[in-house]
Amino acid sequence: MISGEEERMDAAGIPYMIRPGKGPEGSVLDLLGQLIGSGGADALLLPFRVPSGDSFAWIMFSDVSLLKDAVPFPATMPVQGGRALRSLTRKEKGKLRIIALMRPCEIRAGMELSKLGQVNTENLILASYDCPGAVKLEDYVADPVSCDSAHSEMRSRGEPSGNARSACSTCVDFSMVDADIHFGYFGIKDGGMLVLPGSPAGRALLEGLNLEEGRGLLPQWEAEISRLAERRAATREETFRETAERISGFDGMLATFSNCIGCHNCQSACPICYCRLCYFDSEVSRTDPEALITAAEKRGGISIPPDRIMFHTGRLAHMSLSCVSCGQCSDACPVSIPVADVFSFVAERTQRAFDYKSGRSDGEALPLRRFLKNELDGVHEMVKDAESEASPNE
Amino acid sequence: MNKEFVPRITSFLCKWCSYTGADLAGTSRLQYSASIIPIQVMCSSRVDPVFLLKAYLSGSDGVLLGGCHPGDCHYETGNYHTRRRFAIVREVFESLGLESDRLRLSWISASEGPKFARIANEFTEEIRLLGENPTRKSIFL
Amino acid sequence: MSSISIDKSVAMGLKDLLGYLLDSDKVDSVLTMRRIPETGAWDLALITDSGNLGEAEPLAPVMTVNAGKELSSLSLSGKRIAAVLKPCELRALIERVKREQGSLQNLLTISHTCSGVFPLEQAADGSMNELLPKYEKVASMGEVPSSVRDTCKACQHFIPVHPDIMLASAGAQRPGEGCVLYLEGGKAEEALREFRGVRDDRVFDPSSLDRTAAARKKERDRLFARVENDCSGLDGLLNVFGKCVGCHGCSRVCPICYCALCDFESMNFDYNLPYFEEHLSRRGALRLPPDTVMFHLGRLTHMSFSCVGCGMCSDVCPVGIPVAAVFSRTGERTASLFDYVPGRSLTEEIPVMVFKEEEFSELG
Repeated sequence: MISGEEERMDAAGIPYMIRPGKGPEGSVLDLLGQLIGSGGADALLLPFRVPSGDSFAWIMFSDVSLLKDAVPFPATMPVQGGRALRSLTRKEKGKLRIIALMRPCEIRAGMELSKLGQVNTENLILASYDCPGAVKLEDYVADPVSCDSAHSEMRSRGEPSGNARSACSTCVDFSMVDADIHFGYFGIKDGGMLVLPGSPAGRALLEGLNLEEGRGLLPQWEAEISRLAERRAATREETFRETAERISGFDGMLATFSNCIGCHNCQSACPICYCRLCYFDSEVSRTDPEALITAAEKRGGISIPPDRIMFHTGRLAHMSLSCVSCGQCSDACPVSIPVADVFSFVAERTQRAFDYKSGRSDGEALPLRRFLKNELDGVHEMVKDAESEASPNE
Repeated sequence: MNKEFVPRITSFLCKWCSYTGADLAGTSRLQYSASIIPIQVMCSSRVDPVFLLKAYLSGSDGVLLGGCHPGDCHYETGNYHTRRRFAIVREVFESLGLESDRLRLSWISASEGPKFARIANEFTEEIRLLGENPTRKSIFL
Repeated sequence: MSSISIDKSVAMGLKDLLGYLLDSDKVDSVLTMRRIPETGAWDLALITDSGNLGEAEPLAPVMTVNAGKELSSLSLSGKRIAAVLKPCELRALIERVKREQGSLQNLLTISHTCSGVFPLEQAADGSMNELLPKYEKVASMGEVPSSVRDTCKACQHFIPVHPDIMLASAGAQRPGEGCVLYLEGGKAEEALREFRGVRDDRVFDPSSLDRTAAARKKERDRLFARVENDCSGLDGLLNVFGKCVGCHGCSRVCPICYCALCDFESMNFDYNLPYFEEHLSRRGALRLPPDTVMFHLGRLTHMSFSCVGCGMCSDVCPVGIPVAAVFSRTGERTASLFDYVPGRSLTEEIPVMVFKEEEFSELG
């Protein structure tokens, strides 16, 4: 991760720094204000606290006086930024140039959506920041004040704490991703901050701002990021092990999803699931009522609505290659199924099978958009193994 | 209130009656409010309640829906359905304490140029008194 | 009208009835709540083998999905199904049949007076289990258990409207009365011809529930007053719906929202960048994804007059918006414009499908 960043840094230009004083939040807002003031962009896309005070919404604005109300590092993630970018640029291009400040997983979702033809990055300048993780949406809505303080504690330590979402505790891509600009502040003393260009566009924007050169801060930041990444990787391994155990076999899947009511909130909150009408909500996928009763007769009974395991495994097949492990599915689940744990775990495996990593902008085509004549030799064996384990029907 | 406030009134007018009535007002050189922004629809029943909501939430200060008089619909019964749907939208507004007076339904026939002008002016005045639609400023909609 | 009394508890009597219906081939399957033995999870199930009725919990105070919604699709199979429905589920079924999403023809509807259900979350995490004994005790006295959903506490339609077979929950019975099935119509008479029990012509007496009716009326007034206070005017609306994350779960679980593709998810609500540019230049700011309030207002105009107040929308909301309270309150008002009561009768036509020549003369 780090070495890749260095390469990109060389291509994108030197790092800048902002001296301690206003703290990361204030510094980021200041800098974004300067960017829009200098004509580098027409609008900003940032989270704002909603009127009820217990959540956040994405607001795109050109009126700089609103900047003071923005919350650059919100404690929770009500709407995945990728979804905001999708609604903005899905349809056609325009003249607007928009700077969006988002969590790394939101940027990565944006990258996947761009490969899927749902986001057009041409109009976008994407800025990311060191993310300590988010607290559960449900917890935040219930008690925003204590969640805010828990989150600021998380920010100062650079890592998720007890009430962070599982997807965040297991995230190893919490820092610089393929954004145009990255704000790095983990491990930098006294609220100083690195401003790292990540692309020629990012560099061009930053060059006009008279920022101080920040190479000196790089080592402490890089060391801290590696340290934190290691810790999160350990949690990830542990969680994956538990998940593997929990979902193993058909009974495992059934037990994990036994409370699922088929509301499909996980899918509609997912930034990657962009289909207007999900296959699993369509008439085509609906089991014919007569066939359903025949199926019930075979087993003596059947759960209603049916096909719940079909839905989750189907979604895994459809989108896990692009899953960015943002955890939105778990937050949206009304019965608290650890959907994201399952999806992250499976996604790592499906992505590894194609040597693919979701969320990168390096022109790597989606695995299902390409093929090699000689690849995946192991698949035949996998099929054989699966057949010999033949599991009972749902 | 700001004296310079010029209301914007999105007006859905049916092709056969109200829009033709508006045309007649024009060709008869009747003076009527420039706040009216006409949109021709084939029938007032073409207007999904959602169109009215969209206009309202996008910052229109008033929303006018014009159709043929009951019994005179070019498609026989379209405007009766319009009336029911409009009643629902008004009730939704009232139940939520939203300004239902910003929504108006009027029957204006093709020959009622003067009525169109009168309603346009009256409604504009009413909206002027209500002031700017607060949805114009709201960023959380 | 006739009745059959069985010397058993209501729950046991109902299970007997379901077993009888399957074993004597009066129906092909039975739709009922059950508890999955392996996991303890609550579940709606279509059971075809009476041997599996052991896990059935037909009166469970849980709603994982609105069974009326699911049953309407199942009814198109042409197979005979007996379904145990809560009153709001039965009303949802009727509303869906009016929308041609199902048919009553092969159904035998069984419903019961309802004391409300637990919040879905508590049903899922098992925390309702320890509250269940208290629920049953309070419900048996004909009172509203404090542990049920707000929507249930405020429900005015807890006595089912014209099911084929009706049962009175414990609170609506005299002590020691056992299980009484109230049969309505030839379908039920025919199906229960050989069912064992004491035949009579008793009619359910709703006055036994007067006290709970009064309590619920009070709860309803309190809930609606709260909505009126919190959700009034544009600011109030934003205060309540401003935190909506746009997952549209509320519409997906709604038994009335049957559209395969909701208007608000269609291309009608996709915009191009110039549209956003224009809004930006006029307002200086806008929310993404757009149309948050639009979605809820739009849904209110599209379906509120048919809202049966089942409360599923509130249950699935990831940010705890009291969707059901707002929808049932506004729905009561939009329906009353047409003297319409959703789910009351199959012959009452959906208000937007019909009209009267002389009405709403104050409009236009």
